[in-house]
Amino acid sequence: MIARFRAMKPQELAAAAFRLRELGIVLALVGVVIFFGARATNFLTGSNWQDIAQNVSIVVVVAVGETMVILTRNIDLSVGSIVGLCGYLVAATLVHHPSIPVEVVALISIAIGLGLGVVNGLLVAVARIPAIIATLATLAIFRGIDAEITGGKNITAYQLPDRFLRLAASKPAGFPALAWIAVGVAVLGAAMLRWAPWARDFYAIGSNPDAARFAGIRAGRRVITAFALSGALAGLGGFLFASRFPTLDSFAANGFELTVITAVVIGGVNVFGGSGTILGVVLGAVLVATISDGFTLLRLSEFWKIFFNGLAIVVAVTIDALVTRRLQEALRRRRAGLLVAPGAGADA
Amino acid sequence: MSDPTTQPLLELRAITKSYGGVHALADVSFAIRAGTVHALVGENGAGKSTLVKIITGVVEPDEGEVLIDGEPVWIGDAQTAHKLGIVAMYQEPTVFPDLSVAENVFAGRHPRSRMRTVDWGAMQSEAKRILRELGVDFGPDTPVRGLGVADRQLLEIAKALSTNARLLIMDEPTAALSPNEVDNLFVTVRKLRDRGVAVIYISHRLEEVGELADTVTVLRDGRHIDTRPARELSHGEIIRLMVGRSLDALFPKEDAEIGDVVLSAKGLTRRGIFADVSFELRRGEIVGLAGFVGAGRTEVAMSIFGVDPLDAGRLEILGRPFRPRSPRAALHRGLAYLPEDRLHQGLVQPMSVSDNLSMAVLPGLTPGGFLRPRRERALARRFMEQLRIKARSPAQVVRSLSGGNQQKVVLGKWLAAEPRILILDEPTHGVDVGTKADVHRTISHLATQGLTILLISSELPEILGMSDRVLVMREGRLVAELSRDEATQERVIQAAAGVEAVA
Amino acid sequence: MSGARRIAGRVLVRWETLLVVAIVGVGIWSVTLSPFFLKRANLLDLVTPYVFIGLMAFGLTFVVITGEIDISVASILAASIVCFAQIFAAGVNVWPAAIACLGIATALGLANGLLVGVLNLPSLAVTLGTMAAYSGLAFVVLSGEGVATFPSSFTKFGGGYLAGNELPVALLVMLGFAIALGVLLHRTRFGRYLFAIGSNREAARLSGIPVTRVRVTVFALSGLMAGIAGLVYVGYFGSARADAAQGSLLDIVTAVVLGGVGIFGGTGSMPGVLLALILVAEVRNGMQLANLSGQLQNIVIGALLLAAIIAGNLIGSAQEGGFQPGKLRRRRKGVTSDKRAEAKVLVDSNP
Repeated sequence: MIARFRAMKPQELAAAAFRLRELGIVLALVGVVIFFGARATNFLTGSNWQDIAQNVSIVVVVAVGETMVILTRNIDLSVGSIVGLCGYLVAATLVHHPSIPVEVVALISIAIGLGLGVVNGLLVAVARIPAIIATLATLAIFRGIDAEITGGKNITAYQLPDRFLRLAASKPAGFPALAWIAVGVAVLGAAMLRWAPWARDFYAIGSNPDAARFAGIRAGRRVITAFALSGALAGLGGFLFASRFPTLDSFAANGFELTVITAVVIGGVNVFGGSGTILGVVLGAVLVATISDGFTLLRLSEFWKIFFNGLAIVVAVTIDALVTRRLQEALRRRRAGLLVAPGAGADA
Repeated sequence: MSDPTTQPLLELRAITKSYGGVHALADVSFAIRAGTVHALVGENGAGKSTLVKIITGVVEPDEGEVLIDGEPVWIGDAQTAHKLGIVAMYQEPTVFPDLSVAENVFAGRHPRSRMRTVDWGAMQSEAKRILRELGVDFGPDTPVRGLGVADRQLLEIAKALSTNARLLIMDEPTAALSPNEVDNLFVTVRKLRDRGVAVIYISHRLEEVGELADTVTVLRDGRHIDTRPARELSHGEIIRLMVGRSLDALFPKEDAEIGDVVLSAKGLTRRGIFADVSFELRRGEIVGLAGFVGAGRTEVAMSIFGVDPLDAGRLEILGRPFRPRSPRAALHRGLAYLPEDRLHQGLVQPMSVSDNLSMAVLPGLTPGGFLRPRRERALARRFMEQLRIKARSPAQVVRSLSGGNQQKVVLGKWLAAEPRILILDEPTHGVDVGTKADVHRTISHLATQGLTILLISSELPEILGMSDRVLVMREGRLVAELSRDEATQERVIQAAAGVEAVA
Repeated sequence: MSGARRIAGRVLVRWETLLVVAIVGVGIWSVTLSPFFLKRANLLDLVTPYVFIGLMAFGLTFVVITGEIDISVASILAASIVCFAQIFAAGVNVWPAAIACLGIATALGLANGLLVGVLNLPSLAVTLGTMAAYSGLAFVVLSGEGVATFPSSFTKFGGGYLAGNELPVALLVMLGFAIALGVLLHRTRFGRYLFAIGSNREAARLSGIPVTRVRVTVFALSGLMAGIAGLVYVGYFGSARADAAQGSLLDIVTAVVLGGVGIFGGTGSMPGVLLALILVAEVRNGMQLANLSGQLQNIVIGALLLAAIIAGNLIGSAQEGGFQPGKLRRRRKGVTSDKRAEAKVLVDSNP
């Protein structure tokens, strides 16, 4: 095995490292399923899988947006607040105007999220506020706005039109509607990251912000775009959240950003930006949602999930860093090895 | 070739730029023609890098105009400079470590397919073409993460080639290249010139300037001194214009009494970087460590100093075994190391001269852990005087000093630690001629006082002039040891390059 | 005076003055809301509910100056005080239990330090993870109501008063630590090391500074301060709960940033953070007088945080010659946020 690694060309070695990561997540997933399958009743039932699929979908949608931001070496901590705020606004709109088509409401939610994302983007790109601080502040500000709007009240399912409530339950072609949407978003996201030149710039900006600027990449615009996408997808996530959990108060989706970031980090996206795939993020989301579901079925408190998410982030970051370091050393030895030929001595 | 009757490609008129009251450039005017290699020379602090920043849009001049093809332009940002066809290549290759070579070359300018998406196929084939033209041995798929400094520079050149730049600025491009790669580079630069590209070539290596340049511009203290065809200027004349005075002996080496062995290295190995390096250093000796970039000299020094690990080998200092666990441990045994990159590794820029000078000896200056400003100031004054560091006061921020003075501060920091063994890595790299002589005088004097010096340098005259003995490394191995008498330019280069003696 | 302090001095002498002006200004506003504001008892008691935030801000300052961040402080507080509560509830005397609390807090901080300092992992990601992990752990250790039966000999440190019921002990505690930590930061070798590492870690290491040891220590220190803050918290609020200090991270970070501590490391002053904390306490107090809801207050504090950074950026570029909105340049340092772009050290690609 080691010999095979030795024989690989550098690009193959790097690719292998990636594949290994995705394989690792799948293996972990298998392990988790076996573990919970044995311990928890109802874990392996069809309806449970539907549940997991629904939860995964919301995470995936928001995680695709968060990925864009993290790729540029930034972070968006405000997605939870955006999901909560947009979710509430969706519900509020439907309560007051029940005849508006569901699609329009979704678009409104996306638009609001987009706007909030642009605010984040401007704070980071124009006002030069580090993303961690900026989105920590907007997390509080957006949540505060949410609280002001709800005024301490909440909206319950009874107030919402049937059409909307059925969305979460519907299963076109046997697959939950939410999952279709998530798959669509993931495919679109992956396609953009592969084929859209401006999205490829995200990788460049995250890999080396200075070099990106020297290369003439308009980093400011790209970063604003990334945050805008993150906000827009969080808005869509809010819409989906409201359809799935139609009782909404000002604490809706509190802490959701942690779940999303965990999925992204587990999925192999480098916290420093520059590398990561949507496939990895989807797998990460599946893993996180599955474990979370398992915890619920085992009647473990909510807070085990939080603990676990935290632990997962630390472990994932550790493994990533160690693997990258090994990989870099190996690649350099490879090149240096070409230069320091064994036995080449002083005899000229 | 350039046509003297047409507009110059780039013209600078009365360019002035100050930073906080200090003139970086004052009333600089000259012109650069397309299809020429135009060398820009000057001591450190002469204003070369500020000029480059203005041309590339990183900063804006306080006064004056920049004209392209005769038209005044306002280069407000890197994007504009790019659009005007201005590309800059710096010493530190700016690459994207997570992307492939092809993506590095085309970052921000991906070839598009008809549907305006990224055309990966075209990117690959185009990148392959350029790499082959440059004659490098890595392909478009190679992950850049695994490339060393020299390769990354070649990557940058490929990038510049592919942007069809009109003006290419190269700032000390050969610092990290082997002789083969330098030759390759020159061939490519000439190709670019013949295609009508203007190349601004900044270098301290006057031999290169003589070989490559068509025109030479000399700056001094922010002012334009002269612009003349290269063939009209000898090296001596260029130096005179740079310095404003004629050149004294650069290497005043005093004789020192050479004593016992202070450091003994046996079989030092770091897998893939250097192997089986053994040598001895004696008290009062100046030992030169020669070799081309990439031979492993800095790496050996870093390992001895405890910065990087050693896979094998034994070290002894004054007969007692020494395990270089960390710079702190090395310092404790009397070792000191002046890094190659003084700006990023030698100095803490936002701190004062005094803070930097005392940084390696704080434990001694702070009984009980508390700072003693008076002691620090006294130390600072002592070294500022001894090394002739030009600064307004010990409290002046190091960032605002000239390169030569900064180097003196780094040297002072280590001398304050009263080391037995001082490893100097390119101590006069990027240092102006006047300060260079100062530094050499200091080094020589230190040796007479019983210090042992390991001098790593890529400048052969410096090595030959200063060393009692010359060690030569090539590709990670120590290939020659020459006494002062035996060491000649030819012999050192032969050993460093691994070529047979020419009959 | 050290060079770093000089630099800090140049910005912060102006900055600290701004803070004082702001404190006075907000004070005037508060008086218009309620004349009771100017009573001595009220003024002395102004900061008391925020002392625990201040203590954590002091600890965080050390971390930020070295160029890192620690967003897990509030979680460390929660985790350590629930352990404290359980230990106490199990029958241990309150004082040894308190020592245990500090020990646990320091250990949690130390864990952060080892991950960041030894393994060289990015502090944002690590403390994001430990923030969640420690918080979740806190709830696991003590879910539900919390413990509220602490002896008054203990609670007086957080909630007690001296001098005829007017001088809060907590205020004295905070001032004491501000002075002690201020001396540690500005007058000791250790403090100098922090500024050097924050400005240029590589150069610091090459100068023989024990960089790893210092980096691990600051995180442990940050954890310890969270533990101390926790004990004050318990004293003041009278109970230890797992959701303690939830949501306080905003105020803590605001106090640090508003205090003039450069978010990229290398600059900062303890007096600045103390003043900033007083300002934050005053603003919150004023908003309370104005009957603004807690959530709305958060919006204001969030905006204050953003404003603080923007102001810092503006002052920074004005000093470099020329106010250029929209082209605010980041200060280049040896080992900065473009940490990987520092080509010289090609292997260690993460700070």
